[in-house]
Formats: sequence, structure tokens, C-alpha cells
Amino acid sequence: MKKLDLRLFRMIKNTKGQYIAVLSIIVTGIFIFTAVSNSAVNLRNTLDDYYDTTNFADIFITAAAIPERLERELEGYENIRQADVRLSLDTRFITDNDDDRVNVRVVSVDRKENKLNELFIKKGKRTITEREVMVIDQFALARGLDIGDEINLDIKGRKFKFIVSAIVSSPEYVYLMENEQVLLPDYENFGVVYIEEDYLRKISGSGSFNELVIGVNNQDKIDKTKDYLEDELEKYGVMRVIDRDEQLSNSMLNEEISGLETVSKSMPLIFLLFAGIMLSVMLSRIVKKDRTSIGVLKAVGFLDEEIIFHYLKYAASVGIIGGFLGAIIGTLASGAMTNLYLEFFNIPMLTVQVYYYRIIVSVILSFIFCLVSGFWGIKNIIKINPAESMKPESPKQGKRIILENIKFVWNKLTFSWRMVYRNIFREKKKFLFIAAAVSITCSLMIMTMWMNEIMDVMFIKHYSEFMKIEYNLSFRDFEDERVLNEIKENISYNHMEGRIELPFEIKNGKYSKTANVIGLEENTEFYDFRDLDGKKLTVPKDGILISSNLANSLNAGKGDRILLDSFIPDRDGEYVTVKGVIEQSLGINGYMNINYLNRKFLDKGIINGVYINSDDNVKAKLDDINNIISIQSQEEMQNVFEEFTGLIMVFMGAMVIFSGILGFVILYSMTLMSINERTLEFSSLRVMGFTKIEIFRMLIKENMVMSVIGIMTGIPLGKRLVDYVGNTFNTDIYTLRGIVSAKDIITAIILTILFIISAQLMTYVKIKKLDFMQALKSRIT
Amino acid sequence: MSEIVLRVENLSKYYQMGEVTVKALEDVSFEVEEGEFVVILGPSGSGKSTLLNIIGGMDTPTSGNVYFHGEKITNFTDKELTMYRRHKIGFVFQFYNLMATLTAKENVELVAEITESTADIDEVMEAVGLYDRTDHFPSQMSGGEQQRVAIARAVAKTPQILLCDEPTGALDFETGISILKVLKDVNVKYKNTVMVITHNSPIAQMADKVIRMRSGNITEIIKNESPIAPERIVW
Repeated sequence: MKKLDLRLFRMIKNTKGQYIAVLSIIVTGIFIFTAVSNSAVNLRNTLDDYYDTTNFADIFITAAAIPERLERELEGYENIRQADVRLSLDTRFITDNDDDRVNVRVVSVDRKENKLNELFIKKGKRTITEREVMVIDQFALARGLDIGDEINLDIKGRKFKFIVSAIVSSPEYVYLMENEQVLLPDYENFGVVYIEEDYLRKISGSGSFNELVIGVNNQDKIDKTKDYLEDELEKYGVMRVIDRDEQLSNSMLNEEISGLETVSKSMPLIFLLFAGIMLSVMLSRIVKKDRTSIGVLKAVGFLDEEIIFHYLKYAASVGIIGGFLGAIIGTLASGAMTNLYLEFFNIPMLTVQVYYYRIIVSVILSFIFCLVSGFWGIKNIIKINPAESMKPESPKQGKRIILENIKFVWNKLTFSWRMVYRNIFREKKKFLFIAAAVSITCSLMIMTMWMNEIMDVMFIKHYSEFMKIEYNLSFRDFEDERVLNEIKENISYNHMEGRIELPFEIKNGKYSKTANVIGLEENTEFYDFRDLDGKKLTVPKDGILISSNLANSLNAGKGDRILLDSFIPDRDGEYVTVKGVIEQSLGINGYMNINYLNRKFLDKGIINGVYINSDDNVKAKLDDINNIISIQSQEEMQNVFEEFTGLIMVFMGAMVIFSGILGFVILYSMTLMSINERTLEFSSLRVMGFTKIEIFRMLIKENMVMSVIGIMTGIPLGKRLVDYVGNTFNTDIYTLRGIVSAKDIITAIILTILFIISAQLMTYVKIKKLDFMQALKSRIT
Repeated sequence: MSEIVLRVENLSKYYQMGEVTVKALEDVSFEVEEGEFVVILGPSGSGKSTLLNIIGGMDTPTSGNVYFHGEKITNFTDKELTMYRRHKIGFVFQFYNLMATLTAKENVELVAEITESTADIDEVMEAVGLYDRTDHFPSQMSGGEQQRVAIARAVAKTPQILLCDEPTGALDFETGISILKVLKDVNVKYKNTVMVITHNSPIAQMADKVIRMRSGNITEIIKNESPIAPERIVW
């Protein structure tokens, strides 16, 4: 080994505390980058493979009645590769418990294999006969169903018995949700079962089909194909034409993967930035300390570039080792992380790959980052004059700090506090860095606490403040509003209102979005509408109120005229004026006066659902009423939510640890640096009679001042971060908007302080071990 | 007559300190022959370190020239000066300035790695009397031992001129004498020119040539016909 390299190796050994500190930040940054981005890629690849294997459809059409011959007629035209008609019915799964209202979507399948949306057999056989059903995996698991089990379904008012012949997964239900409005999957109360096509047609009495799925040749021309299909199928009562991007399960997955991709880009950057600054500060300190040695190296004939290269190797080693370790751990963790995701998304064929090129990219990224920051730290090497470097450096000019001019403050300070403030003002950059680290730690903690709370708040706000609905009853078809009387006779209730809930394709110029519009009574008691400033709004006589995420999607605001197309055959779209944009944390909706909606798009006096507030046993008592497809209680929805907090908790825990590492490591290494540089000063204090504890206290005070500043700036920074996250993660399912509560801030501060205290305690060990007398002696020799 | 290894011609170096111009060197001229043991003597502030730095290519003059084997080094670029220091000059500093994280031998090998012609390291270590201390780190050695390592480091790259800045300045008398002896031995054994700057006048007795300086000027240059052995020097 070259002697300079040997020197470098020993230098690293001697500064191992700081070296490991900066390394750990790099490792964390690269770890997050690799783990999260690999998971995103793994999920994306797994999904793509799954979609390819199962020939997942590109376009999904719902219509009133589609003849079978359409399959043949469409294939080969306008980019259409394959077409498959099917029957899809929402039915009831009969259980022993009368209170249960379990919905099952029954979908027809070919006897042997579907052309599109092939089923992935997890257990059992694919060939299906009459009275056999294939059950979707998540539902089977939640309901404890297995091959050979018997299930009972209420199809069009008649009870049918089936035998489970297979447990399957479907690319259409990777994320198993009944519809956009339920927000989260509820495996126990919603499932999908597949029944042989001819048999299902027979028992349901359907002569034609109500769904058509399409596979296209060229994805780029999909919009044109959709337009073609909309026109072509108009005569069959086309209600909805959506592409794969809008398909519920797929769009949920894509949102999750996009979220992962955003995190993989932003979080590591924060860590790398801090690691870069820290490395730069560390190396500039080392160079300063090595001033004479550098002068000697120059004097004996080493070139500037050779010396720079020597110190850059320190930075490069951090980059390479950090990048490599981070990438390896990240790659290993990404397997586990992808698996964790698959707890929530049902993809039977997991593809976890080791992406060697990503490991190389991580190492290169970390290497370049460290090299650049390292160079920034050591660039002063060029300025060191060998002749000058042999002389002791002239002491820093002692001058008054700004605080000394504020006499009434300065005079009140004790001697040790004055020393603390002088040190801070003399080492501004270093202390600002500490403050920045504490600030970012505190702000990340605030964001984490907020995210944890906001999930709860979102639900509580949505289900008890925004929506005050205890039961949401849905009919299979439209009903005359007089059906309300029948319901009123069956249960005791506090309040009841009929409602319309209908999907619309909503357009504003080039912007378009499919969302459910809800028709409500003018003085509805079930909703509390507020605009974005918190001002109360009522359902307007005409026009529409839209949720803020819908307003964003449509790029529309109050006063704009938007086009609503109801998918109902023979009805043209109508323009409606936006009367207000409302705050809604969950879901994406529009709200209209029920009379106005009916007048404009339907017929007078009809409803397709009822909102009920009642203390009665609503579910059991309304069980016999025909045409009710579901009765959802608020409690059920909240229970489902509880199950889904698992993933959030894992994410939160990781975030707390990562943010803590950042604050801990920077504070620890910067204090360590201070101790190393100020041994002579501390030795003199020891000679004067200061105890080790008193010296440690002095260091703590310096860090405390910066920590207080860091925490104080961390609070507004955290709020900004929350705003950013709120704006970034605005989806159809949730709108992350909410105030950072005092509880979030206090918890975040406590956690930040805990990490600060542990870093301080670690440095005390170092102070205790320091041989102050040796430090004084070494200056003489 | 021996070849002139170094010629200094009308060398001046001025520093500007505020409104005052400090004349560190003024119109200094002299010559040094190959293999000579030269002592530059003067009190502190006389300009001897500045002179040594310019000769060693670590500093540049305000005016005047320095010729090394007839080549004008005062015109050299930074890179040429570094190469000059690398291949032609050996430095010994008052405070040794060894690399703390390298052992004695490694300190010597460090410079040997960058030069074309190197002496046998073990032989050099033996010549400076450190054969049994080669694996010790500077912190485990006395000042005298550290200075021997510094001399070995300078000698190992077979420089044509060995420049020593107060090499005994931080040492006690006995150790100082031993260091001077090592320098003389090196001068004889490796036949290189040795220039020692010191404020300690008795050291001049061992020199072939003594250059006395005061306030940036040379006051006298004495050719010593009968230099004495270092062991006989007393201060």
C-alpha cells in the first residue's frame, strides 16, 4: 500500500466516530433510495408481468344490454385486438347472521378460460361447470372459504347454492374494492365470485350481457378507440367507458407506486444533502488541522493535485462504502417491503429482482455526491503555502460579538453563558449546520406525527363532521321516492333522506374526470359543506358543489360551467355551473340538489339510495326489503380503516427512526469535532479547575442554544413540509389537508429532544475518556 | 575547484504590512559549491528563513535570481518548483513535521515513493542511527529521534541540497550535537550540499562556509578553512 494511502487509512481509523456518522447518513439516504425505488420497480414489474400473463384488458365498458355477436364484430376494428362480453351482477352473499350484509359481485366466465382478464388459479381447477364458483382469494381468506365449501347467493331475489371449485386472483381486483366510494377494501364484506357464463345467464334471466372488456393493439391510440366504442355502443345503452388507467384497482396501485417513486426521489435527497454538508465540514476541519502536514507534503515535492486526490479518497471511500452498503441493505429490504405491500395488494406472482444496475447507480450517485462535497471541503488545500504552513497559525482575531452590544442582555449573562455565545458566534457555519439538522429532524418528525394523526382526523372528520350518516342504503335500481315510506314503516329513525348517487363523466375543456355526483335535499342534515376557508355552504337550488380534488382534476373553480355526461343511454351531457368548491378529505364527488339533478339528468321523484340516522337495528329490519343492494354502517367503514393502519404504522416508525438518525448523527459528530478541535481549550479549563462535567455542560449549552433555534425553525418548516405533502399526495381517494395540531408539534419536539439527548450522552463518554494533560503536552512536542 | 551548485544574485523580498514595507531580504548574493556544508547565521528576523524558503522553491523573491546548477529557478512555474523540490531539495524543519500517523520508516518511504532516485531506506535509517526504531510512531519518539527521522526523510530521496531550518532549535544540547553529527555524516557519506540556518553561532564552527545575516542583508561570508567536528562544539 502506498504510504499516503496508509496515512489515509489510519486517518479514517482515528476519526472513526465521525466517519461512521457521515457513513450512516449516506447509508440511510441510499438505503431509502434503493429500498423504496426498488419496491416501486418490483411492484411495477410484478404488476406488468401479472397483467401480461393474465391478458388484462385495456378498456372496460358498462352498458345496458350488449349482444354476444359484438365480440366478433368489434375485433380487428379501430385498434381492437380482442373483445369479451360478460355479465356482472351485484348480489348478496347469504350468511347465518341476519345482521350481515355481504355483497358479492358475480361475474360470468368462460367454461375453460377467458379471452381477457384470465384468472390466476391459486387453488383448485380452472374448468368450471354449473353450480360451481371460483372465489376471489382475499374474500375466501376473510370468510374462511376453501375448495369444496358450499356458498349461498341471493341472485335476483332467488337463493342459489354453489360449490367452491377454485380460489383465484384477478388482475381486475388486485386492490379489492367495491367501488370508488368505499375508499378502502373490506375483504369480509365484499368479494367477487366467478360463475360459468351460460349458467349465470340462465339463472339471472339475462339474455344479453352488461359488460364488455377490450384488449387493444396500440396503447397510444387508446383514446381514439374509446371514442369509437362510445359512439358504436351508444345504441346498446353504454354507461361507462374507462381505460386501464381509470380502472379502480389499477389506479389505486398506480397511485401507491407513484407515491413510492416520489418518496424515493425526495427523502434520500435530504439525507444526501446533509451528508454532503457534513462531509464537507468534516474534511475542511481535517484539512485545517493538517495544515502543517499539507505544507510538508508540498515542501517535499507533492503536487497540489496529489494532495487533493489524497483527501478526496476519504470522501470517495465514504461515497463508495456508503453507497454500496446502502444499496445492498436497501435491495434486501426492498424484497421485504414489496412483500409487505403484497399484504395489501393481491398479486399472486411476486417478482422480486436484484437490480444490479440500480446498485451501481446508487454507488455512483453516492460517490459523485461525496466527491463534490468532499472537494468543496478541501479546496483550500490549494491556498496552503508550504513556507507559511510551518509557522503556527495566527490566532483568530478576538472581537466583540453582536450580542455584546445589547448591554442589558449581555450584562445579565454568567461567565459560562458568555463563553457559550462567543463560541457560537465564532463558529457560525458549524452551529448553523447543527441548527439546520435539528430543524429538519424536527420538521420530519412533525410531518410524520401529522400524517399519523391526519389519517385518523380524515376519517373522523369525514364520517362525523362532513358526513353525518349512520347508514347508507343503496338500491339496485332507481326507485320511486315513495319507497321511503316503506322503510319508515319498518324501522324507528331519527332522520332519513332519499338520495341519488350517479357516476358522471365530468369535463371542463380538455380536462375530464369520472366521479360520482350525489343528489341531496336542499336542507340536507347529512352533510356539512364548508368551502376551503371553512365557510358554511348549502346545497344550491341549481348548479353543483365539487370537492377540492375534483376541482383540481378539472382545473375548475367557482363560476365555471362544466359538462356532465351521465352515461345514461339517449341522454346528452348538460352544462352545470360550479357554485362552490368544498373541503372533503375522503373521496372525490360532486353534490347537487336532488330535484335539480333529477330534472336535468333523470326523472322526477326517483332515488337510488337512502341516508338514515337511527338507533334501530337497521340492517336486520330492512333485510327483507327487495332491491336493496347494500346497507353500510359508519362503524363498518371505520373498522376497515383500523386494519389498514398497519402499513402506515410501519412507514411512520421508519420515518421517526430515519429523521432521528439524521439529528443524532449530525449533533454527535459535530460535538465530537468540537471536542477534538478544542482539547487545548478544555485542557486549559481543566488546569484552571473546571470539572469534566462543567466542560460537558458548556458543550451542551452551545448545542442547546442551536437545538432550540433548530426546533423553533423546525416548526414552521414542518408546517411547510405538511403543506407540500398535502399538495403532492392529493388523490381521488383522499385529500391530505389538515392543521398540524399542538399534539403533533409537542410529540415531534419530545422525540427530537430525545434524539438530541442521546447524542449528547454519547459525546460525554468521549469527554470522559479525553486525556487533557496529554493534549497540553502534545502541543509542546 | 568544485562546481557551483547554487548561485544567489541580488535577491530581495519585500512584504507589505499595512502601509509599511518590510524588507525581509535585500540585495543578497552568494554562491554555494557542491558538497559544501554551509551555515547561515543570524538572529531571528534577519531573513534567513525567507532566504532558505526561496532557495528551496517554497517562496518567490520580489527581485533577484537564484540559479541551481546554472538554471534560473526564480522563473519556474509552480509545478516546476514542486518538481525541483521533489527531486533536488531535501528539507529538515525545526519542529520535524513528521506525519503523525506513519511510523518512522513509513515517513521516510513516503517521500521515497515520489522520487526517481532513492537511497536504500534501511541504510539511511542506520546512517541516522534509527535502525531499531523504524516501526515507532512519532508520538512514541523523543524530539531528537523525530529529527533523525526528518533527516532520513530528507536524505532518502538523494537531494542535491539539504536545507535545514534550525534543526537543533527545539532540542537540548546533547541531542542537538548528535543531530549536527548526523547532518555532517550525511554530508560526507552522500556528498550532498548541506545548508543549515541557525541563530546559534557555535554551530558555525563546523561549516565550510558561514554566511552571516542581519536585517535582511548579508553582513559577511566566511570561508572556514578548518571546520571542527560537531562533537567539539559547545554552547
